Amino acid sequence: MNRSINLCVFLLACTATTLLMAETPSRSAEKLREWWWPPGDGRVFPAYVEYDNELGRLGIVNANGPIETAGHPFFEPLGTNGRACVSCHQPADGMSLSVASIRQIWEATNGTDPIFAPIDGMNCPNLPPGDPASHSLLLERGLFRIALPWPPIGDDGQPIEPEFTLEVVRDPTGCNTDPVYGIDGERREISVYRRPRPAANLRYVVSTRFGVSPFIGKTGMLAAVDPETGLPVNMNMMADAREPTLKTQAQSAARTHMEVAKPLTPEQLEKIREFELQLYAAQVYSNGAGRLDEPDGPSGLGPRALERGQDGVLGNNTTRYVIPMENKWANLPEGDTPEERERNAFRESVQRGHDVFFFRTFWIRDAMHINTVGLGNPAKRTCATCHGMHMTGMDTANGWMDLGTTNHPWALEPPEDPWAKKLPELPLFKITCREDLPPHPFYGRVIYTQDPGRALISGKCEDVGAIVMQQFRGLAARAPYFSNGSAATLRELVDFYDRRFNMRLTEQERIDLVNFLSVL
Amino acid sequence: MTGRAHRGAVLLLLISSAAQAAPAPGERISFVSCPIVRDTRTVPCWLAEYDGETYYLTIQTDVSAPVTPPMLGHLVLVEGVVSDAPRICGGIVLEPVRLSVMPEIDANCNTLLPADERYTIDFNPRPPGPSAGRLAFAPNPSGQPEPRPALEGPQTVDVYFDFDRGVSFRHPSDLMSIVRIARDLPARRVRITGVRGAHLLSDGTLLRESAGVGQRRAEEVARLLRGAGLEVEPEIDWIDGEAEADGIDDWRSRRVTVVLFPD
Ligand code: HEC
Ligand code: HEC
Repeated sequence: MNRSINLCVFLLACTATTLLMAETPSRSAEKLREWWWPPGDGRVFPAYVEYDNELGRLGIVNANGPIETAGHPFFEPLGTNGRACVSCHQPADGMSLSVASIRQIWEATNGTDPIFAPIDGMNCPNLPPGDPASHSLLLERGLFRIALPWPPIGDDGQPIEPEFTLEVVRDPTGCNTDPVYGIDGERREISVYRRPRPAANLRYVVSTRFGVSPFIGKTGMLAAVDPETGLPVNMNMMADAREPTLKTQAQSAARTHMEVAKPLTPEQLEKIREFELQLYAAQVYSNGAGRLDEPDGPSGLGPRALERGQDGVLGNNTTRYVIPMENKWANLPEGDTPEERERNAFRESVQRGHDVFFFRTFWIRDAMHINTVGLGNPAKRTCATCHGMHMTGMDTANGWMDLGTTNHPWALEPPEDPWAKKLPELPLFKITCREDLPPHPFYGRVIYTQDPGRALISGKCEDVGAIVMQQFRGLAARAPYFSNGSAATLRELVDFYDRRFNMRLTEQERIDLVNFLSVL
Repeated sequence: MTGRAHRGAVLLLLISSAAQAAPAPGERISFVSCPIVRDTRTVPCWLAEYDGETYYLTIQTDVSAPVTPPMLGHLVLVEGVVSDAPRICGGIVLEPVRLSVMPEIDANCNTLLPADERYTIDFNPRPPGPSAGRLAFAPNPSGQPEPRPALEGPQTVDVYFDFDRGVSFRHPSDLMSIVRIARDLPARRVRITGVRGAHLLSDGTLLRESAGVGQRRAEEVARLLRGAGLEVEPEIDWIDGEAEADGIDDWRSRRVTVVLFPD
């Protein structure tokens, strides 16, 4: 893990931007100061920077130029618990937060860094702080506690009557049955546990150029609106799309994660939004494939590709690929040196992984909001059917779908037997849908879930376990994956799909897919 | 077999045109059965069996197609007209055809047949992988909104639903056009009538939707229109569509009718 790369080795392949860069901060604990951004640190955020990760290096383009972070609301600890936005959205981690970083910070600070604040950096605020067991979900899976009102509150401030009842079947964190924090407690909240989502490339994430109308394309329900303009938004942010805009998102992040005493000012919100919309992050160097942003290389790789790219474009995968590679890494020459041979072989694997992603069909079955929107169940399609948007691999507007990551029987659950070494870590809820309404088309009227996802906001039975898909960028920098952190590595993510959809991927296809995802 | 013969005899007494072995082109047919998937070298075919015959329903396309495939795990209500087109994937072609997934889960509907050299799709379907840009829901090429005719007098819009279901992915454009008409007319009064659908199936059965569905649909449409900016408070009522069930396009009874009055 402690792998400081000598830049000069790559100078020949370096682009101009890299030459301007000082040095790649190594991701070791000893060099913590170089890559970890503590709140209120006051450093200048450069126009371009690269950070080491296990699989290579991530590049970040700060398109509007260097930023004085002193006084900047994304970087300052504005709340009462010492956190800033950057605490959980670390540049080195693709503006998310990897579990590896979380552990390093735990070690380095003895668990005192503000990311471990009781409010959501512990399994439940009622536990003793500083004990690793109290923070196990964060330390082991990179999960923060997300507390949401239950029953949900509509945009008009009135409670929504859910189409289902919700019971706590299992409460390993103690939070959902707590007299204060529990569902029937003083606060009337439900606690679910989720990964931070990348706060970069957000121009793509919030784009309204495709499929945005007053009615949600996949359900016909009313789309959320931007409270400032009254216009509909794309509902592609947060695991459950509960926040309509970057500003409402920042306001609520400040209130919940940062425990601010008073709301952020309009100026602060605008500054955060502006910063987020011009920030691009992607893997820029791969240990296997070398530089990813060579001028004559695949045009969709590296952070500059995101800076240049158009948002709100649905990939059609003949003229407009989701991740354009132009077959540049197909049929490469064998190479003259051992290094070149190895690099070319890896590049060809990436290209094959790309082809698996776009062309390799399998039966997509029982996935709510994809099999129910005109494709039929099952549908013989590919990874790119769900992951269709140019450059980010997100879905088109309103990106929530039930992949099964949080619902039984697909969700990761340790085996229940007397010899089990590991006990279940996440809560389990039993959802019972109303008898007088149509059942969930794939689960029926009783659903067991670790996180009801969108249903916690909409109150709809059909939304149970539907999660908004994340963008695909900077994956190498921010393991584990999926909203509930259930895939520790890219290989586990690929293996999940193989199980879920009985894909029967060959070993080579799995390796190729992982290599493809690792260079994004 | 005897069970079916017996039921057939009873049905003969009920209706004159009881289902026969080989349906003639032009014949209307409606039934509820399990859908069947037949894989092919390209995209899967969707079939259903009724009364000893196999019918071709549709192929896998995409969200924008006029007919979209049903779901394994559920029965499908098929309402179609027998065509004289050559069989596709071994099934008699129904054209036009209307398909509605039945809401309750039926685990018996689980037949996925492998590709078979005898069944090929000789037209050019939207492929299972890249769409080659042939997504029918791509924005209209001119980028200009379609010209809208001047509106005069009361305007009626019918919105059709799947069996027992409310608003879904099929409805954003219907709802948008109602919002637009309300604004352009402009509507001073709006009446929304939800209908509980009923179907006379080919075997003589009367298949009705659940009791509250007409009211639920009317209220849901009213709520969505209000949310999208409809300014007048709509009048809401609901009726039973049983009288409309005659075996001819009975899917039209699963609807909400919105009438917009300029005065
Ligand atoms: C304690 C850690 C933490 C802090 C502090 C924090 N976030 Fe987050 N952020 C998260 C988590 C966890 C999610 C995902 C929540 C979910 O999916 O429900 C998230 C999601 C987001 C997203 C959504 C990205 C997407 O694609 O969906 C944005 C944008 C974001 N945060 C910005 C901010 C800003 C701006 C601040 C400061 C005002 C901030 N965050 C502070 C943990 C944090
Ligand atoms: C049925 C739709 C669907 C299909 C098909 C699909 N995905 Fe996903 N994908 C999702 C959803 C939904 C999520 C978010 C799930 C969650 O976080 O719980 C997701 C998330 C991801 C992520 C992001 C993980 C993260 O934490 O940032 C990756 C990478 C990914 N999928 C890869 C793939 C690959 C590779 C395939 C093909 C083998 C594939 N997907 C097929 C729906 C799909």
